[in-house]
Amino acid sequence: MNVSIKEEVGNTYSDNDQFNNSKNSNEFIIEIEGLEKSFDGFKAVDGISLKVRKGELFSLLGPNGAGKSTTIRMLTTVLKPTNGDAIINNISLINDKNKIKPLIGVCPQDNVIFEALTAEDNVQFVGQMHGMDRVENELRTKALLEKMNIAGREKAAKTFSGGMKRRLNLVMSLIHQPQILFLDEPSAGLDPQARRLVWEFIKELKKTGMTIILTTHDMVEADALSDHIAIMDHGKIIAMGTLNELKKGSNNGNILDFSFYSNEELIKTKNKLEEIDNVKEIKELENNKLVISFTGGIKTFKQEILSWLDSFKTLHFREDSLEDIFLKLTGRGLRDN
Amino acid sequence: MNSIDLKAWHIARKNVKEKIKNYGSMFWTVAFPILMLLVYKLAFSESGDDVGGMINGLTAFDVEFPGIVVYTIGMSTVTSAVMFSMSKKNGTLERIDSMPVSRGNVFLGAVLSETIFMNLQLIIVFVFGYGVLGAHFELAMLPLGYMFAMIYGVGAIGLGIIIASFLRSPEAANGFGMLTHMTLMFISGAFFPLDNNGVFFTPQYWIKQVYLQLTVVGNSFSDLMYRGSIILPTSNATAMPIWGGLLMIIVFTSLFIIIGVKIFQKKTSL
Repeated sequence: MNVSIKEEVGNTYSDNDQFNNSKNSNEFIIEIEGLEKSFDGFKAVDGISLKVRKGELFSLLGPNGAGKSTTIRMLTTVLKPTNGDAIINNISLINDKNKIKPLIGVCPQDNVIFEALTAEDNVQFVGQMHGMDRVENELRTKALLEKMNIAGREKAAKTFSGGMKRRLNLVMSLIHQPQILFLDEPSAGLDPQARRLVWEFIKELKKTGMTIILTTHDMVEADALSDHIAIMDHGKIIAMGTLNELKKGSNNGNILDFSFYSNEELIKTKNKLEEIDNVKEIKELENNKLVISFTGGIKTFKQEILSWLDSFKTLHFREDSLEDIFLKLTGRGLRDN
Repeated sequence: MNSIDLKAWHIARKNVKEKIKNYGSMFWTVAFPILMLLVYKLAFSESGDDVGGMINGLTAFDVEFPGIVVYTIGMSTVTSAVMFSMSKKNGTLERIDSMPVSRGNVFLGAVLSETIFMNLQLIIVFVFGYGVLGAHFELAMLPLGYMFAMIYGVGAIGLGIIIASFLRSPEAANGFGMLTHMTLMFISGAFFPLDNNGVFFTPQYWIKQVYLQLTVVGNSFSDLMYRGSIILPTSNATAMPIWGGLLMIIVFTSLFIIIGVKIFQKKTSL
């Protein structure tokens, strides 16, 4: 179960540790070993290895172009790996991809729907492709569309709002009750209300024992939903573990976000911060911004710097987040890409 | 490609539903054959003798009527090119690829749905051409003519698949498909007879000749099979039995389908 996963997996960033911590390989529904994909010599995915346990929600977190979607496209059998393999439910992706297809559901990053068809027709078509019984297909379609607030609409899907199309995209991946669900940026472009609905729905799916692989560049989403997180950048996994493990491993402490009106102000403040003992790290970002990690309490540190600080635009104290972990690992923010 | 099963039928149904709900496309599916017939009727309403003495007793419209049949069926090149390039562009092909369904089903589904629309257009052409505009027609030969027209139609879909293999945008597929179709119509002599050996290299020439002999000139398939009947453009005499033309249609159709499927598979299997 998810709790035991968190207990078992080690505390460091090495993806090999996840393999080493395996007590029973049968618990893993996905085992990826050295998976690689190159396009004209460019390595979009560079030999990643990881394992996903049955029933867990595993997030691939990273900026655009990190290789998350390429990884998903390989795992969902539509893209042939250049090297490596993945064993999905004891079936080799390379040798037997057609046996994997009935087990998986795929919600692509873009809304891949048949625009001229109704929501019902779209979902039932996927059910037919999975060889579902007609009555079961109809009943399940109705139930899922009701669940996602898009039932009873007779108009073509092209008339739907962006949020409705996104939810339809999700429902289409679920009609056949897959063992493994791949969600590529499931809440991208949704308003907060619709996003919350999708999140709640994903949480409900997780409770049914479905294994979910999710890609996102949204730390809040990864934070809210994941059992395990792998942070990807430039086609590689640069960190992996539970959220707590990642935070502990990053050893960032607390965080202060600073922004300034001018570069002169920034340099002046940076120089003074470098003299303070409990400042662990200072990262300079674009647009006159600084991110400072420090040890000790927020209140004490705040009092100390406010005593000498001349001018600044904004100042914000917070706890360490996935964004900071990414920043620490790569030297840049997730949104700087 | 793996096995072909009932899923091809579901794909065909989905394709038909999509087409029916595209009202612009549906309008042209119905209107274009009628417009072409009217244009032909106006252009070729004089007797054959007046325009070069091709066949006694038949008007030029009667003799050119098979050209409209060829044109109508050949439009499948355009519609299938658009359909396949659209599925590449909007990701639906990739989505289907992630499901337990073979590419064989996808191709067969497309051929089935396109054939349904081909039939719809042919019915319009026959009803309007023979029924309203009074084109000459040997009714007994209709089933055979229809069957060979459908074989050519499958080849036209294959040509559309070849075009879609190289183009990602449906707009480009529409433009290039139309350019290919119209060029072949003109250089095959399907619109206007041409005295040039180049026509032999186009399926349009063969289907027009076969259709002409079967449904307009001839009235006995067995006679047509054994005596020279296809009028070659380089000679005024009939020189080839009809089975030669049938063979050419089958060869072209097989080539277009095999090449189309092979190239499309190669270009889209990532």
